[in-house]
Amino acid sequence: MTRTHTDEFENPVDRRPALILDKPEFRSITDAVVAPLDAPTPIGWWFVFLPALCLLGLLGIAVSWLFWEGIGVWGLNIPVGWAWDITNFVFWVGIGHAGTLISAILFLFRQRWRTSINRSAEAMTIFAVMCALIFPGIHVGRVWLAYWLAPVPNQMGTWPNFRSPLLWDVFAVSIYGTVSVLFWYMGLIPDLATMRDRAKSKIRRLVYGIFALGWRSSNRHWQHYEVAYLILAGLATPLVLSVHSIVSMDFAVSQLPGWHTTIFPPYFVAGAIFSGFAMVLTLMVICRTAFRLENIITLRTFDYMSKIMLVTGSMVGYAYAMEFFIAWYSGNPYEMFAFTNRALGPYAWAYWTMISCNVLSPQIFWFKRARTSIPILFVASIVVNIGMWFERFVIIVTSLHRGFLPSTWGYFRPTIWDVSCLLGSFGLFFTMFCLFVRFVPMVATAEVKAILPQADPHHAPRPERTAASTLRPEPVGGGAH
Amino acid sequence: MSQPRTRLVLRPEEASIPAGHGLHRLPLIGGAIGILGIVGVAVLGGGQPQQMYAAWLVAFLFFLSLALGSLYFVLIHYAVQAGWGIVVRRLAEIGASTIPLFALLFVPIILGMRSLYPWTVPGAADHDAALRWKAPFLNPGFFLTRAGIYFALWSIMALAWSRASRRQDATGDLAISERLRRFSGPALLLLALTQTFAAFDWIMSMTPDWYSTIFGVYFFSGAFVSAAALLSLVVVLLRGSGLLRDVIGIGHLHDLGKLVFAFSCFWAYIAFSQFFLIWYGNIPEETIWYRARLDGSWKAASAILAVGHFIVPFFFFMGRTMKRRPLALASGAAWVLLMHLLDIHWLVMPTVRKGVAAPSLLEIAALLGVGGVFVATAGWLMRRQPLVPVKDPRLPESLSMSEA
Amino acid sequence: MALLTHDLPPGPDYGLLAEFERVDDLYRACERVREAGYTRWDAHTPFPVHGLDGAMGLKSSLLPWIVLGMGLTGAALGFGLQVWVHSYEYPLVISGKPYFSWPAYVPITFELGVLFGALGAVFGMFAINRLPMHWHPLFNSEQFERSSDDRFFISIESWDPRFDAVATRRLLESLGAREVTTVGAA
Repeated sequence: MTRTHTDEFENPVDRRPALILDKPEFRSITDAVVAPLDAPTPIGWWFVFLPALCLLGLLGIAVSWLFWEGIGVWGLNIPVGWAWDITNFVFWVGIGHAGTLISAILFLFRQRWRTSINRSAEAMTIFAVMCALIFPGIHVGRVWLAYWLAPVPNQMGTWPNFRSPLLWDVFAVSIYGTVSVLFWYMGLIPDLATMRDRAKSKIRRLVYGIFALGWRSSNRHWQHYEVAYLILAGLATPLVLSVHSIVSMDFAVSQLPGWHTTIFPPYFVAGAIFSGFAMVLTLMVICRTAFRLENIITLRTFDYMSKIMLVTGSMVGYAYAMEFFIAWYSGNPYEMFAFTNRALGPYAWAYWTMISCNVLSPQIFWFKRARTSIPILFVASIVVNIGMWFERFVIIVTSLHRGFLPSTWGYFRPTIWDVSCLLGSFGLFFTMFCLFVRFVPMVATAEVKAILPQADPHHAPRPERTAASTLRPEPVGGGAH
Repeated sequence: MSQPRTRLVLRPEEASIPAGHGLHRLPLIGGAIGILGIVGVAVLGGGQPQQMYAAWLVAFLFFLSLALGSLYFVLIHYAVQAGWGIVVRRLAEIGASTIPLFALLFVPIILGMRSLYPWTVPGAADHDAALRWKAPFLNPGFFLTRAGIYFALWSIMALAWSRASRRQDATGDLAISERLRRFSGPALLLLALTQTFAAFDWIMSMTPDWYSTIFGVYFFSGAFVSAAALLSLVVVLLRGSGLLRDVIGIGHLHDLGKLVFAFSCFWAYIAFSQFFLIWYGNIPEETIWYRARLDGSWKAASAILAVGHFIVPFFFFMGRTMKRRPLALASGAAWVLLMHLLDIHWLVMPTVRKGVAAPSLLEIAALLGVGGVFVATAGWLMRRQPLVPVKDPRLPESLSMSEA
Repeated sequence: MALLTHDLPPGPDYGLLAEFERVDDLYRACERVREAGYTRWDAHTPFPVHGLDGAMGLKSSLLPWIVLGMGLTGAALGFGLQVWVHSYEYPLVISGKPYFSWPAYVPITFELGVLFGALGAVFGMFAINRLPMHWHPLFNSEQFERSSDDRFFISIESWDPRFDAVATRRLLESLGAREVTTVGAA
């Protein structure tokens, strides 16, 4: 939970509305967030859930057909042995990173504005990791041997190659999923207790009660809870950095021009945060209007999020520039070809899509008006995600399709099953997210309450003080402090 | 559990070095050491120009990285609108304001270009296809032009931010903070790019065949953690000499310690990424650089760097207590600075001194030379202004976090 | 250690429950209750209140040590497994590197360290807090439902050595409690 000492100081340089608008009471936070869960399902929810469910069905069909017929149903072939499968994997893992960043890293930096979005962002992480893990699982070919990925000897007594980045991925992404679930669930417990205590029907009380673990808001419990939260935040931060670095090593440890370059780990992490924030932005723009949470998920939140996108987008742009410059500087003809081929070869259309979506479009966020305009935020966030999907596609496919031996050069085209798997993964994602917003409080109400001015025992505003003063004189003498 | 009343306002006299305080002698002491060091370099280095210029380069890069790291600190502070660090920002501004000095200290490197950078030797490219390819970039004229651009831009940024902050001491003008915030973003971009290419020019091109896309980030990571360590050390020393005791508190020390912890982990991450990917790919064109750093006693130096620059600070700064005890924080910070010096030594020297890692008397003389001048300049700057931005609109907020 | 249910000694009443509307009232009340020498008592808040641990006089948590131990164990297990597999159990020459290639062992070692640390943090916290504990006398109280919403409570158990039905109630009422109720033990 966010401890604050500066609640009573408004930043005079950055005159902004309060983090939570309309000066709510604790109860009104609970009501605002929990009320939609008590109410009957809104029709709009079905408009998202049902198509998502259909796409999920499509995923089931596509994966079943893939298992039955084999990897040949995809467009993969020599020389492009990895295409949409790994692009989708890296895409989804990347999106997941924003959730942990918002939960963990912003917590460590004492950024109180995270409390309105961290629950949804963490949930998004879990669902994104679910989608991500599908792809390495299904792309192995002989799916019945997928257990060879586990750290156990197989029937021949051989072990997996722990020195391979593909196996590091197995550990990294599944551990990332596990820790994200633990972090999300732990944060959820107090809110589940709220749901339990407010539940009108016996079934709801039972279900929420079971998962609330008997939480009774005890401060003795809060003490250890807060320590655990801080530790998890401290563990999740290097975890986030390491997971996408390990994913980048799938490519960087090779000797392939366009893949083997030292900047990949931090570059991928920056890109992951970039795309993840874009996805959170897309989801929050929809949810805050749909659930009337505009006073909790405010434009100020979006302002900060788009600034983070500007920073991480710039880091990605920096990495593009470095790769390009060093490719020339190296004097290595294969390295140079890899990059000129990207910009001018058969996949130039993908490359320039990537550049315009990732480098050009985020520049709009230099302007405050753009950072707080809902239509621009919505469109820009989707454009960024398209761009980031293309970045992984460009890295993987353009580096593979024209390798060292010209006689192997080829051109990858996706099949209907490639497309189905991608669309189907969106189906899984949105199905899970719809279920989440329907049954679980999508804002961390306990955390939001904790950042309200009246939550601070030392500076809680008493009714007789006016709201005009932003600086409060210290109490004289030995008052409790 | 009563705690001292937190101050909310500061008078300039309370934040400046009082008359008669020992720190007033710092420029003189620094200057004397500096002259001693420079003379030592000239005397010891007479017969071995390559060693002499390399020693100077190490000293130059070490202290420049402290100044650049301080500039990053100031700019990032404005860009992210951090509140806790206002009380220490002026000290970082002072560190950054020494940058113009380094343009002068760069002169020996220009003089010793031929010893340090093989591609500057006339006729070097005649028999080397790689150097011929890189000649449009790696030629003395463009090299010097770039250096001029770096120092010009860095000086402008450092002085602009420092001067504006000083002006705010008199007026408390909110518009100044707003303007500095607005331009800090583009300034950071420019700084990142120029600093990257400075690292390419001055360090990476010592081995012109070698290249690494992460090299600019690597230099940044070392510079930033060292600047944070320097800030921690300076703050503890100032408090130890009786200054700013009730302005910069344990809470601020704790935050500085967290910064050192986090960025030494970041340094390790970047350093390991670079090493690991080159080790794994095992391509000779790339591994030659590490081979030189695992040769002879450089192997031990590499191991000491890995353990000393990461493992030791990791466990030292992990717990709460060490960051909140001034003496512990200062010791840890001094250690990090020492490790950063080892890092720079390890980046530069293996190219000119194969197999022998131990620092020479020449290097120590160079460090005294450059360091003395650096300390003298910083001391002179410290005498001329309050050590805390006394009228910064957000100062009360920062002051309130002294016990946090 | 009881799981799912409390292990309080038998008795007719659990204790007294005082309800507060404002967090600063609760804070001051906690200091008074601590000064009065009670040991078997607790505060209940919908969110963690800054500084309340100190006001209640709680000792610092042992959790960080548990996490450190678990994290180091996980890392050691990860490193050990890889060394054993690649140097002893089934050594293979992979990309021309020696059997003991420690850089390649770093990612999994790190990840397992983090996993074990995280498990230690969460399940250690559950263990210390004796959660899950689905049955507890406090759930008998109707007002207590607001402890997870917008009200603050202090509960003092009747088994506390200084507990006295009358005196303790008077103390709580004097601290600005909106309402003080007796909670049954059943």
